Amino acid sequence: MPRKTGEPATTTELLQGTLDLLILKAVSLGPQHGYGVLLLIQQISRETLQIQQGSLYPALYRLEHQGHIAASWGVSENNRRARFYQLTAAGRRRLEAETAYWRRLSHGIGLVLAASSEDV
Amino acid sequence: MTLVARLRSFFTALFRRRRVEREMDQEWQFHLDSRIESLTAGGLSRGEAERRARLEFGDPLRWKEQARESRGLGWLQDLGADVRYGCRQAMRAPAFAATVILTLGLGVGANTALFTRANTLLLAELPVHDPDSLVRLRRAGRNDMVTDSSDYGFSGTDSTGLDVRATFSYAILREFQAANRTMSDLFACAPLGRVSFSVNGVSEAASAFISSGNYYRVLGVSAALGRTITPEDDDASAPGVAVISDRYWRTRFGANPAIVGTAAEIKQVPVTIVGVLPPSFSGVQRAGAEPPDVAVPLSLDRRLFDGPVSRIDQPTNWWLQIMGRLRPGATAPQIEANLGGLFQATARAGMEAYLGSLTEEERGRAANRSREAVPRLIAGSGARGIYDAQESAVTTVRVLAAVVALVLLAVCANVANLLVSRATARRRELAIRLSLGATRGRLARQLLTETVLLASSAGLLALAVAHWGVALLPGAPGQSDVVDVRVLSFTGAVAIVTGLIVGLVPAFRSTRNLVEAGLKAATGSAGHSRRRLDRTLLAIQVAVSVVLLIGAGLFLQTVQNLRRVSVGFNPENLVLFRLDSRLNRYDAKRTAALFEDVRARLESVPGVRVAAFSDVALLSGAVSTGGMFVPGRVYAQGEYDTIYRVVVSPRFFETLGIPLLQGRAFTEHDREDTPRVAVVNETAARRYFGDERPIGRRFGRELEQRDQVEIIGVVQDVRYDSLREPAPPTVFVPALQVPLASAMFEVRTAADPLGAVPALREAVRNVDPNVPLLDVSTQESQIERRFLQERVLARLVSLFGAMVALVAGIGLFGLLSYSVTRRTGEIGVRMALGAARTDVVRMVASESVSVVAGGIAAGVALSIAGARLISSQLFGLAPTDLRTHFAAIGLMVVVAALAACVPARRATRVDPMMALRAE
Repeated sequence: MPRKTGEPATTTELLQGTLDLLILKAVSLGPQHGYGVLLLIQQISRETLQIQQGSLYPALYRLEHQGHIAASWGVSENNRRARFYQLTAAGRRRLEAETAYWRRLSHGIGLVLAASSEDV
Repeated sequence: MTLVARLRSFFTALFRRRRVEREMDQEWQFHLDSRIESLTAGGLSRGEAERRARLEFGDPLRWKEQARESRGLGWLQDLGADVRYGCRQAMRAPAFAATVILTLGLGVGANTALFTRANTLLLAELPVHDPDSLVRLRRAGRNDMVTDSSDYGFSGTDSTGLDVRATFSYAILREFQAANRTMSDLFACAPLGRVSFSVNGVSEAASAFISSGNYYRVLGVSAALGRTITPEDDDASAPGVAVISDRYWRTRFGANPAIVGTAAEIKQVPVTIVGVLPPSFSGVQRAGAEPPDVAVPLSLDRRLFDGPVSRIDQPTNWWLQIMGRLRPGATAPQIEANLGGLFQATARAGMEAYLGSLTEEERGRAANRSREAVPRLIAGSGARGIYDAQESAVTTVRVLAAVVALVLLAVCANVANLLVSRATARRRELAIRLSLGATRGRLARQLLTETVLLASSAGLLALAVAHWGVALLPGAPGQSDVVDVRVLSFTGAVAIVTGLIVGLVPAFRSTRNLVEAGLKAATGSAGHSRRRLDRTLLAIQVAVSVVLLIGAGLFLQTVQNLRRVSVGFNPENLVLFRLDSRLNRYDAKRTAALFEDVRARLESVPGVRVAAFSDVALLSGAVSTGGMFVPGRVYAQGEYDTIYRVVVSPRFFETLGIPLLQGRAFTEHDREDTPRVAVVNETAARRYFGDERPIGRRFGRELEQRDQVEIIGVVQDVRYDSLREPAPPTVFVPALQVPLASAMFEVRTAADPLGAVPALREAVRNVDPNVPLLDVSTQESQIERRFLQERVLARLVSLFGAMVALVAGIGLFGLLSYSVTRRTGEIGVRMALGAARTDVVRMVASESVSVVAGGIAAGVALSIAGARLISSQLFGLAPTDLRTHFAAIGLMVVVAALAACVPARRATRVDPMMALRAE
């Protein structure tokens, strides 16, 4: 995967299934087009998360198909026609559930990894 | 909520595919453009930015594929690919595909035709409202309470072997109507036979039907056009009305709606056509029966009846069928309890009234004494109509059902065999696809799609075969010959599921080991279990072939034996047709003159040698019988003899070519005013007079009249009704002494009998242009029709037998060819070690010997077990006929030998050096 020069060398491949969560989170901050979602995730994660750009779209369509986000055509900041995605009520519920799950998971894993021999 | 969204997006994706794809392109273009902008802003050249943006985006085709899957379209796309791939596979192996489609199509089609017919014969209910609550009333046992009786179909016997009949007198109907507490309603009806039906001045013969006014209401039938007959129409003073069937409306009146309201005449009785019945309605005679052309209310019988007193007013004339609808909660036994006693009392009262109307002398006759026996009323389900299917038709259909079930078995075995071979041949391909990452589920779906493709093509063929096949079968010539789609799907499903389980499962399982074995086994041996399966399937086919070949032999000989039966007269070049003077309301005197005029006129037609007429034609299915009392014989109370009877014109024996053995034949001088005379056949002469000379002896139809008729001649025996039975005792009486209302004309022609028909028609028209020729046929075709069912059986069983034997032969050929290929090395070694050619042939042939021998043994056992089923259908030989069995076995052995020929020759040509080197 090509990277921009001068970027930090440590990027992380996404765990399977986490892309959906990231998209939901990005879209929850306000309506976004596909490219916007990508930029948002890269900005917020300070470019540590590596997303193959095209793979964003099947994920977007899957979420749309499942009714978690809704799409409509609108005008972008540079005055071009773009497809904007918005969180639905079902999507919000799923985001909350997945966020809670993720927190529990990372907390648990964090505890395990932080363990030293005295703790056992 | 999400479900709705999913469905919406699925259908949008499915039906607005182009728009969705276009939007996807636009969206991605925006993405790329934005990225390029950002990259050029970062200092890259335009070209470099574009390249970088595309690289980062990845392969759009891959994303598109995934996008479709995201929208739930994935499986659909796979299906399309599977179907395309399946078609390509079929194209690559056209022989395989054609064989499967043909075998499956024929097998399933034949089964569908059979079960469609079996369904109408045995199971179908009347197409009326709620047929299950209909009851039919009939009577069981001997009936002395009757002077005239009509019955219109096959009724059979009850569980104790008593004769069951379906008709009652009008008086009984009236009593039932008054006393009924178990049925919500009951109605009566009867076929009226053929009547002249005159509309707009044009008269045609039509089949007619008469029913009580509530008939249509009780059955829940409403008119397709106009109205049905109502109880108000059934009043003695009401104007005459009639309804016509949909079919008659179309064929005779070209579906003209203006026919409703038209004035018409039935047997010159004025009626108004008030309605057209719906096409689905076929009456209550029997499920699948032909509907009558025209129907009238019961009260019209007084006007339509030919005699001086209508059947309505004769208490001993039993002619009406009675059906009803059960009251909710009531049962058939309750009807019998409700009406059974009343039935017997009314029957007795009818007889007493009749006897009371006779003179003292008439009452004293033997026929009128000892009138005791009264039948018992029986009520049963009327869901399938008044009558049951003809027993012989049911037997034929049973035999054929067994035959096609066997054929289906052979077809399944064959198709399974083909599928297994095919799957084995494709193991390499399947293994490659598996190792390339196709899931087993995906492969299973692929195989399933291919099988379903083959099956649906076979299904189309089966539909055609079934449609054609039903028309060939005996039993129900009516309108219900529509191929039963449920049956088609069922038999199709059976064949496919069998094929799938037997064929695909083992093949598929074998792919598991394949991948692990690194594909190398693909060309090696196919494993022991597969070969055993192969042989079992082949043995099944051989067994079925043997059974069918034995059956074919038995039925072909039966037909030949029936054809060879000497009927006692010459049936060649004999035209038959009927004239019915009642259609034109001739009186007795004019009728006699008409018939004699026609007979004379026919003889003057060029090409006609001689002509005669009679009340029934021989071997035509019609039968007339009468009492036979001979002076000097002692008759116990109520005992009498029945003799077959034919009323004939002068020159009848000459026309049919029946040799006169003693005495003389009838002449124009045997008239009403001369002494009564008769001619008997040899069997009758022997039965009643033994070795004594019958000429000059006397007999009568009743005990008191036993001196009435003098025997003037004896003719050679002729078959009357059945080809299977010897000639029955028969008496011939002159038409000039026993006037006929309807006559069957027999015309002996010099050449082709049907070619003479136009001239005969013209001759009749010259006598009276209003008298139509009915039922024109030839004596030979009448006789052939007597064993139509045997012919159908012979033809179908031979056809199926040949088909299955051929398929089994091909299967054996395949088995041996494969085995020779597999064992080439072994053969080479043996030959190198000095084995002779004959040894090699023996070795190859022995592969099939066990299969063929096992199949033949099973087939013979099966045929012996099934012998009872067909014994009543055979004639002139037993179902266990040895010669036929040996011939069938011989034929199967020949087929097997032919199948072994080519592979065996190939085996002897194996070059030991080449074979060993290949090893």
